[in-house]
Amino acid sequence: MTTEAYLQRAGEILAPFAKGTNNPESNRLDVQIAASDLPAAASALTDASWGYLAAITGMDHGAEANELEALYHFCEGSAVTTLRVRLPRVDCPEIPSVSGMIPVASFFERELGEMLGVTVVDTPDASRLFLPDDWPDRVYPLRQGFKPEQAASIQPNKTPEPSKAGNKFIVPIGPQHPALKEPGHFEFTVDGEIITGARMRLGYVHRGIEKATEERNWIQNLYLLERICGICSHTHTSAYSQGVEKLAQVEVPHRALAIRELVAGLERIHSHLLWLGVVAHEAGFDTLFMYSWRDRETVMNLLEELTGNRVNYSICVLGGVKHDIVAEHSASIHKALDFLEERIRYYLDIVTSDTTFLQRTRGVGTMTHAEAIRFGALGPTARASGVTRDIRLDAPYGAYKRFPVSLITDERGDLEARFVVRMKELLVTCFTIRTIVDNMPSGEIAVRFPRKIPAGETVSRVEAPRGEAFYYIKSGGGESPLRLHIRTPSLCNWTSVINKAVGHQLADAPMLIAGMDPCFSCNDRMVTVRRKDDMKTLSWSELREYGIKKYGQKK
Amino acid sequence: MTPLTALLSIMFFPAGLTLILSGMLYEWADRKLVARFQNRIGPRWFQPLADTIKLLTKEEIKPQGLNYILFYGLPIVALTGALTAALYAPVLGLPPIYSFPGDLIVTLYLLSLLTMCTGLAGWNGSSRFSVIGATRSFTQLFAYEAPFLLALLGPAMAANSWVIKDVGVYAQTHWMIFTQPVGFIIALIGLMGKLELPPFDAPEAETEIVAGALTEYSGRGLALFHIGKSVELVVAISLVTAFYLGGIGNPFLFLLKTSVILLMMAMLQSILTRLRIDQTVGMWWRFGALLALLQFLVMVLLKGWLA
Repeated sequence: MTTEAYLQRAGEILAPFAKGTNNPESNRLDVQIAASDLPAAASALTDASWGYLAAITGMDHGAEANELEALYHFCEGSAVTTLRVRLPRVDCPEIPSVSGMIPVASFFERELGEMLGVTVVDTPDASRLFLPDDWPDRVYPLRQGFKPEQAASIQPNKTPEPSKAGNKFIVPIGPQHPALKEPGHFEFTVDGEIITGARMRLGYVHRGIEKATEERNWIQNLYLLERICGICSHTHTSAYSQGVEKLAQVEVPHRALAIRELVAGLERIHSHLLWLGVVAHEAGFDTLFMYSWRDRETVMNLLEELTGNRVNYSICVLGGVKHDIVAEHSASIHKALDFLEERIRYYLDIVTSDTTFLQRTRGVGTMTHAEAIRFGALGPTARASGVTRDIRLDAPYGAYKRFPVSLITDERGDLEARFVVRMKELLVTCFTIRTIVDNMPSGEIAVRFPRKIPAGETVSRVEAPRGEAFYYIKSGGGESPLRLHIRTPSLCNWTSVINKAVGHQLADAPMLIAGMDPCFSCNDRMVTVRRKDDMKTLSWSELREYGIKKYGQKK
Repeated sequence: MTPLTALLSIMFFPAGLTLILSGMLYEWADRKLVARFQNRIGPRWFQPLADTIKLLTKEEIKPQGLNYILFYGLPIVALTGALTAALYAPVLGLPPIYSFPGDLIVTLYLLSLLTMCTGLAGWNGSSRFSVIGATRSFTQLFAYEAPFLLALLGPAMAANSWVIKDVGVYAQTHWMIFTQPVGFIIALIGLMGKLELPPFDAPEAETEIVAGALTEYSGRGLALFHIGKSVELVVAISLVTAFYLGGIGNPFLFLLKTSVILLMMAMLQSILTRLRIDQTVGMWWRFGALLALLQFLVMVLLKGWLA
């Protein structure tokens, strides 16, 4: 089906609920609906198997309009249907939950509740997801009136007592735990070695980035967003630039798009090799961990050679890219890829043939195709269950039309399949990079870009190494965005982990968590609490004195 | 033997200081080998010693709500058990300084003391990681202990003696790795299970339960457990070498043989993935115990037939 056909079908499904429809862009359909119709409209789309819920964006239109708005973005191919629900701008306006039919919505609803003060009626878990436990009640950081400076002066809530476990035996994993390279918190209820329940809490690396974008101009945001994640930094800048360029109606040169795809490919290689090492370590196979990270250095060095940086490459600028890739580079790219391809084939062989490793991956955490769809899984995690979702193919952006990738799926859905999918994906990526290098379009690498962006809103979707990254960008015509909403793939994949962990051995839990390649810093983007009284900044000499005093007293 | 010489032999040679230092050397060799297999550089030769000194000088954190007699006593008992076992073992290829009929069984029990103490220390802890680690330690103990025992009883059967010294002497002329290959493999793998080395490190799987039973130990207690483990490594390797690889003899040759065993262990550690505790138990009882039993039966029958 074409995008138009998809949108037409969505329009037909939603016709009974629509209070107004609108086509803001050729691939988007906006449907205005009443809050009370939301569950019915969402289930109509789900029942008709029209797409999946990609994100819920909450917005505050300010005191003047006196209105909040919740946007439910559903995606199918490159078509995006948005259900727009208007809510009164009062303390806790109510909106019905859609988590019943769409489990992944639970996370989005928790975010909506804590950030904008919307009460989601009947949501399975209304506790905080990102905001700290001592964040004061009734202070909503994404409402218009809230200024980040306020955070310094608000009186924190008392940190709540940890809940009593009763006679359950709960194993806490995190926030600080050797299995986690970034802080997150999981509570596994166990019966002997078997997991009987799982809960999670995020927000330990919450930095308030979405709010911060509203105070910075379009250019500054590029550098801020690059720092959302240390692994897929290029994903965020390219998703953002692509959206802003669409709003500004700037045509980006083909050469720049090709370079963006090339860097995205290298980023995928470094991300997947990093992941391979992490999961091998979780399984207690440290040799594979050390080997894959050693080989990953090749691609890191290559990125440094091309862009000057190993992690935040900073190659995207609005309207193009910063550095050109010239003939001298192509030799070193080919050389690095020769080595990497050989190693990746070797790892593919290891993960499918090593007996002891297979004992830990084959048949573990199996997610069927239907479950993957139901849990809203994305990226390689979903593709390992046979779900054919890949934004690079479904909605080709940038240079992906010119330099397409091929789809890799696996039907088995267990941990082994996720290894196979990721490793095969790397081989495809290597091939695509070679094609780009050999057929680099000629021309400029960047065009001039305006300071102010015309008013409007857009959706930008990019396939990150972990799955689809979703950006919603709204401009008011000024130098900075009115609202920027980011939904990273990890957030969607959590549902599958939490649901699949039950019934597994405790020993499998770290592998299940790592198996979806979680990225905590991508998830957590919003706030820090600086306490008013009981915390202060110490200078180096003060800290030294404090240490001497504290430890000196003992003697 | 006078009390003075007995004391000296426990404190300095062959048990005590000599054993602790050689334990550290073995530990270093193991770490270095694994590091090289994993394409890392690995520690310098004095690293285990430096680690121990550092741990001994560190503050010992006292968790709340424990039985402190156990908390402080268990590391000492664990180390003592390992050191005492050394008195009956042919460390460095020298004949054991003490010997009595049935000392093989006593030594094997003394070697299990460390695991018992580790498990008890975990049970005594209030951390959930310790409790799970302790459960896994005990579970694993029940898995490898019987096959390991059988694997060491095989040579004793062949030598017609339950005295380590006699078996060692008998083994000088009979390389039992050739006559009882199954026993040797089981003894080698059982050794890795005993020392909780990968792939049998589920009791201290850091990505699941941090440091397992010893999660709450720090400073001196942790140091004593670590020393106990290195000592046990030396004693157990010596036993296996003496029983299967040519018995008591030239210390230099003996050292070479133990190094070969260490090399094999390091190799296995680096190429295998950690087994889940259910897989460990399954493997030992489905294959290990049965094979050991089978070989034992064959030995008994052969002995009866030859006699």
